Parts: sequence; C-alpha cells; structure tokens
Amino acid sequence: MTAAGTRPDRRRELHLNAFLKPPGEFLAAWRHPNAVADAGVNIRHVIELARTAERATFDAIFFADLVGVPFADQEVLSRVSVVNDSFEPTTLLAALATATSRIGLIATASTTYNEPYHLARTFASLDHISGGRAGWNLVTSLNDAEARNFGLDRHVDHELRYERAAEFFAVVTGLWDSFDDDAFGRDQKTGVYFDAAKLHRLDHRGKHFAVTGPLNIPRPPQGRPVIVQAGSSETGQALAASVADVVFTHHPDLAAAQAFYAELKARAAAAGRDPDHVVVLPGLSVVVGSTTAQAQEKLDRLTSLLDPRIALADLAYWLGGFDLTAFPLDGPLPDLPASNQSQSAQRVLVERARAGGLTIRQLAQQLARDTRTIVGTPESIADHIQEWFEARAADGFNVIFPYLPDTLDDFATLVVPELRRRGLFRSRYTGRTLRDHLGLPRPASRRAATEVAQLAPVRTRPAS
Amino acid sequence: VTGPRRLTFGALLHGSGGHIAGWRHPSSPPGGQLDLDHHIRIAHALERGTFDALFLADVVAIWGQDLDSLSRTARADHFEPLTLLAALSTVTERIGLVATATTTYNEPFHLARKFASLDHLSGGRAGWNVVTSVVPLEAGNFGRDTHLEHGSRYRRADEFVGVVRALWDSFADGAVIRDRAAGRYYDPAGLRPPHHEDEHFTVRGPLNISRPPQGHPVIFQAGSSETGKDFAARHGEVIFTAQTSLDGGQAFYADLKARAASHGRDPDQVLVWPVLAPFVASTEAEARARLDELQELVHDDVARRLVQDNIGDLDLSCYPLDGPVPEIGATNRSKSRQDLLLGLARRENLTIRQLALRFASASSVVGTPEAVADHIETWFRGRAADGFNVSFPYLPGSAEDFVDQVVPELRRRGLFRAEYEETTLRGHLGLRRPERGSPASAVATTEAGVR
Repeated sequence: MTAAGTRPDRRRELHLNAFLKPPGEFLAAWRHPNAVADAGVNIRHVIELARTAERATFDAIFFADLVGVPFADQEVLSRVSVVNDSFEPTTLLAALATATSRIGLIATASTTYNEPYHLARTFASLDHISGGRAGWNLVTSLNDAEARNFGLDRHVDHELRYERAAEFFAVVTGLWDSFDDDAFGRDQKTGVYFDAAKLHRLDHRGKHFAVTGPLNIPRPPQGRPVIVQAGSSETGQALAASVADVVFTHHPDLAAAQAFYAELKARAAAAGRDPDHVVVLPGLSVVVGSTTAQAQEKLDRLTSLLDPRIALADLAYWLGGFDLTAFPLDGPLPDLPASNQSQSAQRVLVERARAGGLTIRQLAQQLARDTRTIVGTPESIADHIQEWFEARAADGFNVIFPYLPDTLDDFATLVVPELRRRGLFRSRYTGRTLRDHLGLPRPASRRAATEVAQLAPVRTRPAS
Repeated sequence: VTGPRRLTFGALLHGSGGHIAGWRHPSSPPGGQLDLDHHIRIAHALERGTFDALFLADVVAIWGQDLDSLSRTARADHFEPLTLLAALSTVTERIGLVATATTTYNEPFHLARKFASLDHLSGGRAGWNVVTSVVPLEAGNFGRDTHLEHGSRYRRADEFVGVVRALWDSFADGAVIRDRAAGRYYDPAGLRPPHHEDEHFTVRGPLNISRPPQGHPVIFQAGSSETGKDFAARHGEVIFTAQTSLDGGQAFYADLKARAASHGRDPDQVLVWPVLAPFVASTEAEARARLDELQELVHDDVARRLVQDNIGDLDLSCYPLDGPVPEIGATNRSKSRQDLLLGLARRENLTIRQLALRFASASSVVGTPEAVADHIETWFRGRAADGFNVSFPYLPGSAEDFVDQVVPELRRRGLFRAEYEETTLRGHLGLRRPERGSPASAVATTEAGVR
C-alpha cells in the first residue's frame, strides 16, 4: 500500500536540506564553547558550514529569516544572537554561491513585506549567479514587530496574508517567464541582442498588485527557482499543494507525519500535479554521539546554557505573541485566541500541553530542552531516517543543527556515510541544479507555450 | 584624514561595456552581461589597478520600451546589483562595492539591511548610490501609473536616507559585546531603535544586524538639478557628475563644495567624480580608431532612442535621423541632462544622429596613456575632480588597457596609490567613519537632533 497518488515503480531518493542558523538552532547556541560568537555576521564561518554541507552532498542549505526582532523585552532580546545580528539571506546566498559549486541555496523571503518585482529579480539573479541553485522559501511573515518596520501597527491578518501571497506568487512566476529561454541570441554581427518577439510584458492588475514587467533578467536557469513552503495551517497546506516544490513541516510522531504526507500528496494530485514533484521534508533536529548517552550529554550541556526567561519568552512567541506573564507559571496553559503568527506552531504546542497536562513552566522547559531533538548514534539516527522515509512519512529531512559547527560536522562525518552505506543517499552530485538534486523537472515557460498554442491555428504554412 | 590630495577611482561595471554598442566589440564576450566569471575577471583587473570601488548602475525595469532599439542593446538583462556585489565580495579582497538603489521603489528597512549585510560580508567595502529613479518604466513595476514628480521624489529620498542611517545606528559601536559567560549578546544601553514616524515612513526598528564595519556604508549621489545638487551636498560623500568640459567641471565642483560647507560639512569629505570613458592606445590615431569602430556599430534605431531616452518621453520616429533635432517641451525627466543635451544640439547645429553619437561618446577621453593621464591630472589639479567614475566602453579590454597603461603613468606621477593602504572603502577614499558613541553621547546627539 502506498501513499495516495505516488507511483511505486519510480526509485525514490532521499533528500537532505541543511537548515543553517549560523550559531545553531538553539537560542543559546552562541554561548556554546565551540560556537563562533559572531557567527551571524562571520562569512568565513558560514562558508565553512556551506562547504561541509556540500562535501556531505546535501541537496541544499537554507537560511530562515525575519524582518524584525521577535522579542520586545530587552532582558530577553539582549541574550539571544541570531535574530539581532545576521546577514540578510539573499546577499548571504550570493556570497556563498561563489564559495560553493553544487549545493542548492535557499532563503526565506516574505510576500507580506516585499514587492514582487524586487523578489522575482533577486531570486532570478541568484539563480543566474549560482548556475541554477536558487530556492525561495515563501513565507507570509510572522510577527507584529515585522509589521512595525514597514509602516503597519500590527501584522496583516492570516487570511489576507495568504491571499496576497497567492497573487504575489502569480506575479513572481509570471515575471520569471518575461523572456523565452532562447530569447537572447546576442549576435554581434547583426547587432540583434535579443528577439523582441520572445519578450512578454506581464501587465498584471490584481487586488494587491499592478505590475507591468517585463523582468530585466533572462529566464532563470532552472526556469523557476525551487519554491519552498512551510506553512502547515489549512491555508498554508492549500498553497503548498498548489505551488510548492518542497514542503518543510514538523510532526511529533511517525503516524502524524504519514497522515500529513498522504494528505499533501493527495492534494497535489488533486491540483493536477505529479505528487512526486512535491518533496516533503519534515524537520529533524539531531545530536549524534558514539553512544546515545554521550549524545544526550552533549544536548544537556547545550540546554543548560539557556536562561529560563528566554525559554518562557520563546514559548509566548510561538504561541502567538501573547503575554503569558499574567498567568501563574505553575498553572495550566490558558485558552488563547487564534494566533495571527504561525497557527501550526500554536496548535502543536497547545496539543502537547493538553496531552501531557503540562503547566506553563513545564511546557517552556520542554521547549527549552528542545525535546524535538533526536539524540543517538549514527546507526540509530540512520534507522530513524530510513524508517520515516520508507514508511512514506518523508521524502527526506530538513536537518536542524542545535549548535554549530559541531552538530553539522558530526552529521556529515558520521550519519551521512551510514546513509550512503545503506544505499539511501547519494555519494556524489549527479546533477548541476537544485532541481536536478531534488529530482524535479525544469518548468516550461507558460508564456512561450501559450503563445505558440495561440499562434498555431492561424499559421497558414510551416515556418521555413 | 590629512595629507596631500590623492586621486580616487571608481569603475562603472556594466558587463557589456559602458558604450551602447560595447557588447558588439569583437574582443568582448557577447554574453558578458550575465557572465559571472567575466565580472570576476574585471573585478580582479580593477583590484590590480588599485581602484577604490566598482560601481553598478541600476534601473528596476528594462532600460527602454521601444523594442526595435532595446533589442539591439544589452539593456534588458542585468544581475540584480546587491546579489552581484555580494557574490563578488567573496572573490575580491580590497575593492569597494557600490550599487545604485532607488528610494522611490524600496522600503528603508530592506535597503538598510542589505547594505549593512554587504558591508559585513565584504569587511567594510560597501557603498550605496542613492537615486530617486528617472525611468518612467519603473513606476509600472510598482503599481504606479506615473512616476512621482521630481520634488516629492526628493522629499521622500531625504526622509528615506535619514531612516536608513538611523537603522544603521541601531546599535552603538561596541554595544554588541557577545559575552558568552554572562549570556549577554549586546548591552541594552547601546541599543537605540529609530522609532521613526514621519511623512513617508513609519519604521520602528531596530535593524537586525550589528552596526556596519564602516559605521555607514559610503553614500554616493549623482543629482545635478538644483534639488539634486542640494540633496547631494547634504547626504553625498562621493558625487558623480556628467560634466564634460573643464570649465563646467570646475564650476560644478566649486558649487558642490560650497553647498556642502553651507550645510556644515567639511568640503574635503565630499568627493566629486566626473565620468570618464577612456579609449587608450599607443598612438592617438589608434585610440581614435577604437572609438570610431564602436560608434559605427550604433544602429539607427539605437541612435534615435539614445536621444529620446535622455531627453524625455517623446517620439522622434517621424524625424529624419540626419536632420536637425526638433523643438522639445518640458518632460518629467532629469532636467539637468535635458538642458545639457539640447544646449549642445542648438549650439553646434547637430543632427539627431550626431547628437546621439555625441551622447554615446559624451565622456570619452581618447588618446595615449600619457594624454589620458594628462587629462586626469588637469581636472584633478584644476579642481574639477577629486577622482573619476570610469566608464569602460567595452569589457574587459578597455579596463585592462587602462589598468596596464594609464594607472602606471598616474603612479609615476605620484597621483595615485601603488598599492592599497587601507582595508575599507572609507579608508581608500579618506572618508571619516561616522561614529555612534556610548549611550551617554548618544543621548546628547538625540537631543540635538530633535531641534
């Protein structure tokens, strides 16, 4: 029995994305003795991370992003690193493009606080600079602090954000098709630089945007940079099923992951897409040791570095930015209004608190101990990956590194070789582009196809 | 920053060359515009020539809407400048990295952040050329039917630059302490989010990146109208100008320095860079032949568009190319450039084609390495220039010629550095780093700023 819509005859390949926050995912990672304290703005360090991931033949590296700081309380904000002090992701990826040669380069960019023309252009440019390795994680942004950097008092409402995102996406992909693939002949002799018949203005006029186009850069080498989507809310899933090439997701257990996987593939099929062309990558936070006990010890040492105030603030943030200080720490989690930030993050935390009968303090401690993190030996972690992959809970993983560079180095030198021994993971890159790595076809230009189709009936004889 | 005046140089990096027909030059790769290795090769040549900066001009649209002419120029395919500069930052060591970005179609938070990011990536080599956009096509890509009127563009730009600077100053120098033992990443006393609210922007901040290595990336500007010059004198640290005569250059230079002084700025901290398009060869005749060769490659449609694009939205298609330039009314375009071009056409009784070719070669300096060095020295000593924005007509050939022939001559004359002496763009240019002091002095500055 296979998940809905997938074809059992095609050989599946495991995909690994390295989710890099330069000091590590954990909020106190920058304090770790082996961490680089200024990691967020230290390009040498980030280049080393990228090269390690490339040696391990990861499909891609990924940088998340916020366009504002997530905490208002200075006692909390001044104790965390990466949200205060990081490279802007698209400039960072461009810098990494010239320091790497094969690995995919994915960055988050918000459809809520950007203009589609700028974003289409930036990712097309990145795709050209990197020879077809760019990916865009489409987000609708998370918090009110971001809104306040762009002239708004509070974050745009969830539904409206997704409506804007859908139109934004249509404009961006339309702009990428401004020129046909073969538009630029650049004939020095005749002096014709491009074929004007292969240029298409967009002339988009919608509810949120009016964009004339064309884009001022040729079609990206990948046709479209790879589209990543991470929203697991109802609207997020609908968007993912219709437009995403890669879906980042999070699940507490195998069964939940399988259900999500089957549901998303079915939705993609229902939207007329090949379900194999939507790559589902659940998050996997790992600490590897030669024994499980040693790995646990590493994680314990890391989590002891986190100030409890930050754990509580982080919990409040992921619950939707509500003030929890009014409620007793040792009391139950109160009923909260629906989050206007990440609805799926709120749902997961509330479910966890209800299921375990946890107090606010206990829930914050769980978050602080980062209970999503899997500790183990290379074999046990490979077992986990294999189980989820073969049970169709995952096409691969978005690998999260609690502190860097150590947990990436360990994963690359211990877990990846084990996955290769099992025949689950590539030992070298066979393709050039990120789409190649992910087994995704290069999309044809919709504009070029449309116009050929329209022209065909009126053509009286074949072009000679 | 004292000592003798030293020449400074920026290079306008347009992959296909600065001349409108540069991409057709037989020695240039026709696909240079989007060839990253080509750009890296040029950047390396410029570093060999100890250039202060390379500079990317930009328009957020294709550069022309008439397809007949546009399709004959390399003006529809461009890397996005900040991603290109970031890519170059890891394969260069010293050269400054400057890009144009418009205040009319951007948000200050994004721009402040990207330039701060570039400054960190490059170890203090970033510069921002502030423009308010002049090309009508840009408006249509950002939901507007028409371009903002001249005056309101500059009001917005003024506020925009203020917000960007305040965002760069979110953290005091030294506030980001990264004290692992105490678990304190920054000292809260050194954080000052802008909390900006005014006519065009409401931006709370703080910026989510520590203060740029240069304090502020270097601000470049190119305004030549009255409003533009005043804006440049208030904000600009390097000022581009299209002046082509020594007299005009000297007048512009004196005017701009006086304006800067009247705004309470040290005029030596404002550098004036005219454009220079060098055609260098071992004999004058050979250099002249190089220019002529490119001029002959300018197609008729392209010639017509050159005049149209630089004067404004008008249709010249019904006028003969080899007839006189017709009467033209006011347009919503760069006034200074329009006046310059029309004045020239009237004075010399030029045909449309002749005007176009003048424009295509407007800033050309043609001659032997010594003659080109003489021109540079005359303008520099005559205080028409502190340096030049060099627009290489075709690439990489004309850049390599300049670096290998003109730069050594300038070094022999003691006018230009033999090697880099500093690591940041500010260092190369002799520009002071804007400090953002301790919390105590920050309070004093804030109070002064309020008045």
